[in-house]
Amino acid sequence: MLTALSRRTLLVLIVLVVAGATQVSWAHAILRESTPALKSTVQGPDVDITMRFNVRIDGSRSRVLLVAPDGSTSTLTLASQSKPDILQTRATGLKPGAYKVQWKVLASDGHMSNGEIPFTVK
Amino acid sequence: MLVKLVDLFQFLSVVLRAGTLVFQSVLLGGVLFVLWTARPSGDASEESIARIQASSWNLLRLSAVGLAVVQLLYLYVDSAVLMASAGIGIDRVVGANFFISGSIVLVAALLTAIVASGSKTVARWALPVLTVVIMAASVMTNHAASRLEGRPLLIALSCIHELATGFWIGGLPFLVLALFRAKDLDTRWYITERFSRMALISVGFLVLSGTIMSVLYIGSWRAVVGTAYGVMVGAKAVMLGALLLLGGVNFLLLRNASKDEVMPRLRRLIEAELGIGITVILTAASLTSQPPAVDQPEETVTMQQIYQRVKPTVPRLNYKFVPETQGDAPRAVNVDGVPLTTRLINNSIESESNHHWMGLVVLAMGLLALLARTGKAPWAEFWPLLLIGIAIFIFLLADTECWPVGWKSVGACWADPEVFQHRMAGLVCVGFAVFELRVRKQKKENDPWAMVFPLMCALGGAVLLTHQHAISNVKENLLVELSHVPMGVIAVFAGWARWLELRLPEKDRAIPSWIWPACFVLIGAGLLNYREM
Repeated sequence: MLTALSRRTLLVLIVLVVAGATQVSWAHAILRESTPALKSTVQGPDVDITMRFNVRIDGSRSRVLLVAPDGSTSTLTLASQSKPDILQTRATGLKPGAYKVQWKVLASDGHMSNGEIPFTVK
Repeated sequence: MLVKLVDLFQFLSVVLRAGTLVFQSVLLGGVLFVLWTARPSGDASEESIARIQASSWNLLRLSAVGLAVVQLLYLYVDSAVLMASAGIGIDRVVGANFFISGSIVLVAALLTAIVASGSKTVARWALPVLTVVIMAASVMTNHAASRLEGRPLLIALSCIHELATGFWIGGLPFLVLALFRAKDLDTRWYITERFSRMALISVGFLVLSGTIMSVLYIGSWRAVVGTAYGVMVGAKAVMLGALLLLGGVNFLLLRNASKDEVMPRLRRLIEAELGIGITVILTAASLTSQPPAVDQPEETVTMQQIYQRVKPTVPRLNYKFVPETQGDAPRAVNVDGVPLTTRLINNSIESESNHHWMGLVVLAMGLLALLARTGKAPWAEFWPLLLIGIAIFIFLLADTECWPVGWKSVGACWADPEVFQHRMAGLVCVGFAVFELRVRKQKKENDPWAMVFPLMCALGGAVLLTHQHAISNVKENLLVELSHVPMGVIAVFAGWARWLELRLPEKDRAIPSWIWPACFVLIGAGLLNYREM
């Protein structure tokens, strides 16, 4: 058996190595396709937004934000899900400019994922 | 600040997921062990079985409490991430799938601890029920639960896979403990034989379910090496192969050798089997944090792209950075052929040079250890001194913006988290060197300090295999993983080979004593050929 001293030393070493070597990043749900498509140009002022993912999404615990050309953000209300992998919403009264949809979704297996869809309104 | 906290919590979530899988496996293995493997028999001493039963129930209680604690932390961390990310309150979190299934696991684990402390008659029917509940709830936080197609089949396969893992790998701590607690050879033999029979059946189910799931989640041969998911599954398969080799040796020993001759050898092989087995479970936890390969066909790296990155080249042992303005000179490109910015190129030059210097030192360590193993060069036994060389390199050269080679002051460098981590790793290297030189000088049997080096090797390998995976720059990250994952697997093998060299009876040490230095040579060669562009 390890002595008390060596056990403590081992613990400290383990913490140091884990802290030094672990890489942090995050991944799970993937956006398969969207309307508007990534970096596309759409006709305003009202834009229907649809996102299809690779996994089942818990829509009631997901959030979609719209970032306006001036950097201000607003939360978009999600429609009830027609299919487990699809989220839908609608942005209204958009002026011409560059926008971003920021999505933060909860997959059915409990993993959170996020991403953005930049698009332009003409 | 909030973003950083969410990042930290997401990282913790993967660590805790690994913890729940390990404790869950030990709990499952423990239930089978106390209810079936360690049953009294005429072939075993009554006293020894009673001792084994008592310690096994204790370990089962401990694993159940461990699972409950880790599950509670997992629920807290995941709830905090969800609340911060989706901007919702706890009242809405409690309805989420992960919260419901996690709570069920938590309650079932606590009940297991309570049942394992009470009447054994009640425990005999209650434990299997609780096992089924834990399995069913746990699988709802797997990939299978969120799939769009083939969900029932994948859930069933995941259940079989986790159950078989628990019965085999999760049962190993109980076997190690039983062999320690048993007072006589006949009981040790009886327990090992019963465990071996059950493990053989579990392996069959594990391999079958794992193979089918690999086909369904990876989808193509190209994705086996062309995606991070495929590479990690490959790493799991290689380690499983090593486990099967160890298990096979144990199985043959049980059938073809005499009890008193085989038992000391068997106990040590089982320890290594347990260590590698836990690493496989940690790798599985890492797999659950990334999307299956079949979902990322457009992010699959081609064989040509892999070849371009891994083909042997001359190591970069200088820090010749690219000037900001280099006119129309050809620029380095990323995996998709897109020219890199000057900053990215210089970052890669620094990283590659660091890896190559490390590779040179690790290669030298491996070669010297091999030389020492021949017994013809006693001076080569001082190879751990090279670890101090690594520490000096880290402190003086690894961070090119830092004193004495860079513009940053000593104080500013220590305040930089990345530099701080590097320097802590440097100090750990000095610690290793001192440990290992002391161990080699004293050559004491069963010296606890001697175990530090193999355990840290194995742990370092496990960390390389357990880290999370990026969703952005997927292809570039895959190419980094293609070099790091094999090194992780080899480090795990090096650690457990050295462990066996120290723990096996003296006449059995020859093979492992050659394996671990050879692993060091391979890691050194891998580092020397590491490239980021």
